[in-house]
Amino acid sequence: MLTPLLVLFMTFSFAQEKTVAGVVTDQGGLPLPGVSVVVVGTTSGTQTDFDGNYTINVDQGEKLRFSYLGQKTVTMSVGASNTINVQLEEDAEALEEVVVVGYGSRSKELSTSAIATVSAEKIEAFVPSTSIDNILQGQAAGVQVTAANGRPGNTAFVQIRGVGSINAQTTPLYVIDGVPIPIDTERNFNPISNLNPSDIETFSILKDAATVSKYGSRGANGVVLITTKRGKAGDARVKISSSYGFGEMIPNNFDLMNTTQKLELERQYAALGVGAATSLPGGNATFEDISRLNALDTDWQEALLKNSIIQSNNLSVSGGDEKLTYYLSLGYDKNSGIIENIDGFERISARLNTNYQAKDWLNIGANVSVSRSSTDLPRDRNNVQNPFRAMYDYNPYEPLFLTNDDGSLVTDDQGNNIYNPTRGGFPIALALQTEPEDTRNLLLIGNISAGMTFGEKFSNNFSVGLISNRYNRTSRSIAGGVLNSIVGSAAFPGTQTDNLNVDFEYNVNNVFTYSDTFNGVHNLSASFLLEYNENIATDMFASARGFPSPGIPYLDVAAEATSVGSTESRRILFSQGLFVDYDYDGKYIVSGSVRRDGSSRFGPDNKYGYFYSGSAAWNIANESFMENSIFNTLKLRASYGTSGNQNIGNFQYLNLLDFSNTYNGQTTALPVGVGNPQIQWESQAIFDVGVEFGLFNNRLNGVVDYFKKNSNELLLDRPISYTVGDENNSIFSNIGEIENSGIEVTLSGDVIRTQNFKWTLGGNITFIDNEVVELVDDEDIITGPYGDNILRVGEEINSYYAVEYAGVNPANGEPLYYDLDGNVTNEFSDSFQKIQEGKSPIADFEGGFYTAFSYKGFGLRGDFVYKGGNYIYNFQRSSGISIGNIASNQRVEAFNYWKVPGDTDVLPNPIFQSNADQTSTRFLEKGDYLRLRTLTLDYNMPRDMIDGIGLNSLRFFVAGQNLFTITDFNGDPEVGLGSAESSEPGDSGFVPGSFNLFSYPNTRSYTFGVEVGF
Amino acid sequence: MKNNIKLLVLIFSFGFFLSCDDELNDLQPFTQGNPETFFNSVAAFQNGVDGAYKQLWNYYSDPGSGLQGIPDILSDNVILVRTGRTSNSNYFDYRYVASTGGAIDYYWSEAYEAVNVANLVIAQIDNLGDGADKNNILGQALAIRAWAHFDLVRIYGKIPTQSADANASLGVVYLKVEDGDTDDPFAEPARETVASNYAEIIGDLERASQLIGEDNGQGKLNAEGVYGLLSRVYLYNGEYQKVIDAANEVSVPLATAEELEGLYTDSNEAGIVVKLAINTSSESSGNNVGVLYSQTSASDVLEYAFDFDFYNSIDEDDLRLGVISYIGENSGNQYNAINKFLGETGEVNGRVDVKVMRSAEVLLNKAEAQYELGQDALTTLDELRDLRYVSYDGGETGSALEDAIQFERRVELSFEGHRFFDLKRRGEPIVRSTMGDIIDGSGTPPDFPTISADNFRFQLPIPIAEINANQNFVQNPGY
Repeated sequence: MLTPLLVLFMTFSFAQEKTVAGVVTDQGGLPLPGVSVVVVGTTSGTQTDFDGNYTINVDQGEKLRFSYLGQKTVTMSVGASNTINVQLEEDAEALEEVVVVGYGSRSKELSTSAIATVSAEKIEAFVPSTSIDNILQGQAAGVQVTAANGRPGNTAFVQIRGVGSINAQTTPLYVIDGVPIPIDTERNFNPISNLNPSDIETFSILKDAATVSKYGSRGANGVVLITTKRGKAGDARVKISSSYGFGEMIPNNFDLMNTTQKLELERQYAALGVGAATSLPGGNATFEDISRLNALDTDWQEALLKNSIIQSNNLSVSGGDEKLTYYLSLGYDKNSGIIENIDGFERISARLNTNYQAKDWLNIGANVSVSRSSTDLPRDRNNVQNPFRAMYDYNPYEPLFLTNDDGSLVTDDQGNNIYNPTRGGFPIALALQTEPEDTRNLLLIGNISAGMTFGEKFSNNFSVGLISNRYNRTSRSIAGGVLNSIVGSAAFPGTQTDNLNVDFEYNVNNVFTYSDTFNGVHNLSASFLLEYNENIATDMFASARGFPSPGIPYLDVAAEATSVGSTESRRILFSQGLFVDYDYDGKYIVSGSVRRDGSSRFGPDNKYGYFYSGSAAWNIANESFMENSIFNTLKLRASYGTSGNQNIGNFQYLNLLDFSNTYNGQTTALPVGVGNPQIQWESQAIFDVGVEFGLFNNRLNGVVDYFKKNSNELLLDRPISYTVGDENNSIFSNIGEIENSGIEVTLSGDVIRTQNFKWTLGGNITFIDNEVVELVDDEDIITGPYGDNILRVGEEINSYYAVEYAGVNPANGEPLYYDLDGNVTNEFSDSFQKIQEGKSPIADFEGGFYTAFSYKGFGLRGDFVYKGGNYIYNFQRSSGISIGNIASNQRVEAFNYWKVPGDTDVLPNPIFQSNADQTSTRFLEKGDYLRLRTLTLDYNMPRDMIDGIGLNSLRFFVAGQNLFTITDFNGDPEVGLGSAESSEPGDSGFVPGSFNLFSYPNTRSYTFGVEVGF
Repeated sequence: MKNNIKLLVLIFSFGFFLSCDDELNDLQPFTQGNPETFFNSVAAFQNGVDGAYKQLWNYYSDPGSGLQGIPDILSDNVILVRTGRTSNSNYFDYRYVASTGGAIDYYWSEAYEAVNVANLVIAQIDNLGDGADKNNILGQALAIRAWAHFDLVRIYGKIPTQSADANASLGVVYLKVEDGDTDDPFAEPARETVASNYAEIIGDLERASQLIGEDNGQGKLNAEGVYGLLSRVYLYNGEYQKVIDAANEVSVPLATAEELEGLYTDSNEAGIVVKLAINTSSESSGNNVGVLYSQTSASDVLEYAFDFDFYNSIDEDDLRLGVISYIGENSGNQYNAINKFLGETGEVNGRVDVKVMRSAEVLLNKAEAQYELGQDALTTLDELRDLRYVSYDGGETGSALEDAIQFERRVELSFEGHRFFDLKRRGEPIVRSTMGDIIDGSGTPPDFPTISADNFRFQLPIPIAEINANQNFVQNPGY
């Protein structure tokens, strides 16, 4: 890895050196800035400036090479003259866009696949995002992204073309520079958040069978290929960018009660005879009490939250010569999060990408990146240990610190204020300090590839990729802290658990390719793939208790070790594939692939699976009859093929015994799951037909695709009778078929395109229909973390399964429900649950659009995201207005209950608490929204102003995220995780976005930054 | 030469993949065992049996839903402390439905897991050679299987003595590996009758009593433990002479009043017949059952306190009073707090063993049976009262004696998971005090002070998940 660094510093001087200068112009004679000028065979080089001028020191007799994207490269010998002016010609072939496809890249024109590409420029508009998957939201048709929650450093739920599987894991396969990234939701392992977005050149999202089939058993959820930046021959380019900003919780679109309101509601409830209210302050407060409590009025959101600080700094250096190129980067990101008393996310990353033409037949590439991140973790659970629940629950008349009756603060013997345990009995502000949990990840990704050519027709590419992550977690309950006082041991104060997980995955593949051209018009290429992929995960933990000081968080100083453990798991995938591409003169293209995968996740009978695809495209714009038409591009394409999904736990095909529990200190052998030897691949067939077009000199571009995706042999942790005695009362099995079909439209156009002013509009929309096609014996499967979702043949996937609310009885305010016969009744029973047709957590349409203006150096860009047609169980609202929850703070809406006969559109009369406080469609709300994801204003200093100070570029920007939202949902409609400890990816029945329950809220942020290039 | 090098590189590239298929096919689990081959020694079988105890421990000790406490929360022994976290208020206030989280779902799941482990052991017991060890393992497994089913049927079904229709009403599914009940993981079995469940429970327990050893160490069943369980099951089943016979097999002496404090802090084993135990050192983050009643920290966070009338019915001469109660404070209020589960000596973390059956219960089972048969129950009752009171009047006859037995039972076994079942099996209503939660009777009274004897809530609903996954399962009436 040192080689390129050495090269950087090795510049030799020779006696005959002289200075050559000149101007580089384009075909039209206009000066070309940024043209790379390199002395052939050396590393010295420069670039032309804003006016196309360059100067360079060179020896007479040497050669200068002038290169620029989209222009033919020119080489000139240095003679006696000190001036060399060059005019470059446009290179039609070089202008062709290349798209990264599976196991290689292809010219966009010859691709037969539906691929969405998101490039570096777009990524840079999303500066404050710390995780790369969040960036994809709204950027590509057919790619549905929902942030898991607002916790800094957390990842997102990414789905490509709908729910490809009803098994918990629907994350696409990420491949970075050829290295597949393992994501293991069951162990909460997702290295995506540890990648530096600034290093990324493009995302290439493979959506249809023509390309995903090449990934066989891992392709069913789509594939996201990530290509990192590379150096280009020429002088070193240095880029520094830095930004700083702050964030806050997106303000609620509802009001919480203040002290006066809360006491009044308590008084009203107590007067009605609601038992729980009678012992609350408002239930029997005197006038003096009320005024005393009013003086304590506390906004718990303010007390528990803070403004986050968001920082991002990046440095990159890239360059090279014709044999060796390099890209080097360093990044630092920090987001403190919005919780007072704990820190958020911090990441340091470094990357070095190199490419070396070792021999004329051998090209060697090596990429390596290292990053370390650390995160403080708040508890994401549904009780007051979660600050985001506490801030809604704590009453406004209970202040942060305990007070005396005269309003003065209570102090302990040391004179410190005492955190108020409140009626919840849990001083969360203190607990955040005494129950710290943090994780550190050290991620290493590297790959080495060797490309060889054997004459014109044969080539071979061998590559080894590896990814290794070291995960450390420390979780403590500090002596004298909140939890230690409750559950700790008095004899051994303080507990700590350290975890160390090491994940290692390596991927070796070899692609042998034959390509040939017959009669100048028949182009054929065939590749044979061998690939071996093994994942090895080892976990260790140790716990101890009895710590002398909270300041020494190491197990060494503990009085007593309490428990330890270590485990290992492996997964192996071994594959062979054959890919064939043919085209006739770039007009008619056909491609095909077949792949065989063997996976250790399936039993001996079902270990191997075959996946295939066929696709074709017609470049109409290349036909002679299309000459002089308004179309620059017009391509029709179609594909059909299969892929698979093996995203399940290891050894689900075996009955297993687990020894990890002890009883009274002794080993136990417990069955941990009923194995299903019959399980096999989830297989998927995708049909896709699309048209790509570019009009009016590519001023208007678009892609329209229709797809139909059938997922068969669905793997599901299917609920079984508890009487079987299974640990999680479910069994992995192939349970049926679902279908997603839809239309994707992507359009972008330059509305105005003049010398100084440009206005671009673009966007995408995806309409998706989904349906359960087949289930075992056509029996319904009730799923979801609380049994609130159902799979039924002919209905939407994960439709809600709920008791239907019929409003309140206007005569007495009693809540009414529909029984199964559709009759209105004043009873409530779970047996009234029925499918809510057409209502599911899955959106009917979603997408994003942007509008960008640029005038001279100024730019203004707004990116919007939207979705609609999905429903969300609003449990947060239920908690904020439920009668039984009167001891906690409530939403102002709670006043709107039935008071006099004739009241309609009101909440139930509080005296009917039992039947009112039930989960029903009353809390099932539409999740439609439109959100301004980012708004960026930037200014690029004109080149002539900064040239003098030796800079190439200077850009200032201000960006705001999540500035406004339009929605009817009572709360934040962007819901991913409801409550991680209740239900998260990897848990059986997890459905993303199906309910909200006090997870880390999404944030709004404002960032200012500057970018310098030289 | 160059071509040879290229060829070598190519061969190397392909050669790497030669042994890949073997790697793929030979992969085995790392930290887990194979249930078909693991059970081949006494020690391995004991691991399985200990796993079954673990499952029982899980649902008896759960800090949110432990069976050590929920039956008291469902009864007239306690009142919800309004300044606490109001945990389990859906149970206390009888608002539970089939989808209510906590105990309803948890018992159903964990008890059947215990049954599953027991069946796994029973199925392969012939891997051991005949003899005492084999009998002891089989005896424990059979007893655990019966115990778990007994808990299931008394929670979700009626109790034979509860009402005339009880025996014919729906109980649970009794799973026996010998009968092929466990072959199909996709089975959707239908409910059997209460009478059939009790017949199988008693069958397993009686068989276990002949097989199990005399002493298996702390936290495990032995012969006397099985007879203790039998005395309870016979009582629930109305077989009174058998209650007496089984009780007579239990020789564990009663804990004296002086020993009681140490009993509840796990510093002695006085009067313990069946216990589920925790090693508070190596399992220092294990379940803390006391959290059901209070989270004791710098200031108490009480969840449940003594029912006002219950507390005041306890004689001031009762030596137990100071052991089982203390004055707890919360938000400036005082409460009659529950003292049995605060923790081991010096601790307030609520982490203690679960006292499933004490010799006092066996004695009271016997006394009640004797009363039912018109035998001398008073002498039996006085064995306990002699140890518990400084002095008492005694000498009751007729219904006064019946009441005295029940009153003694209520006090002696208070908060240990009995009261709800005792009222239920005797067909009696739940009548709570209408006073409030605070020590002087002020505060908030219970929302529903009375549950009539025939109320459907005596049978907890079958969890909604079972109803959803099993098309043949019938829900209890009323839900």
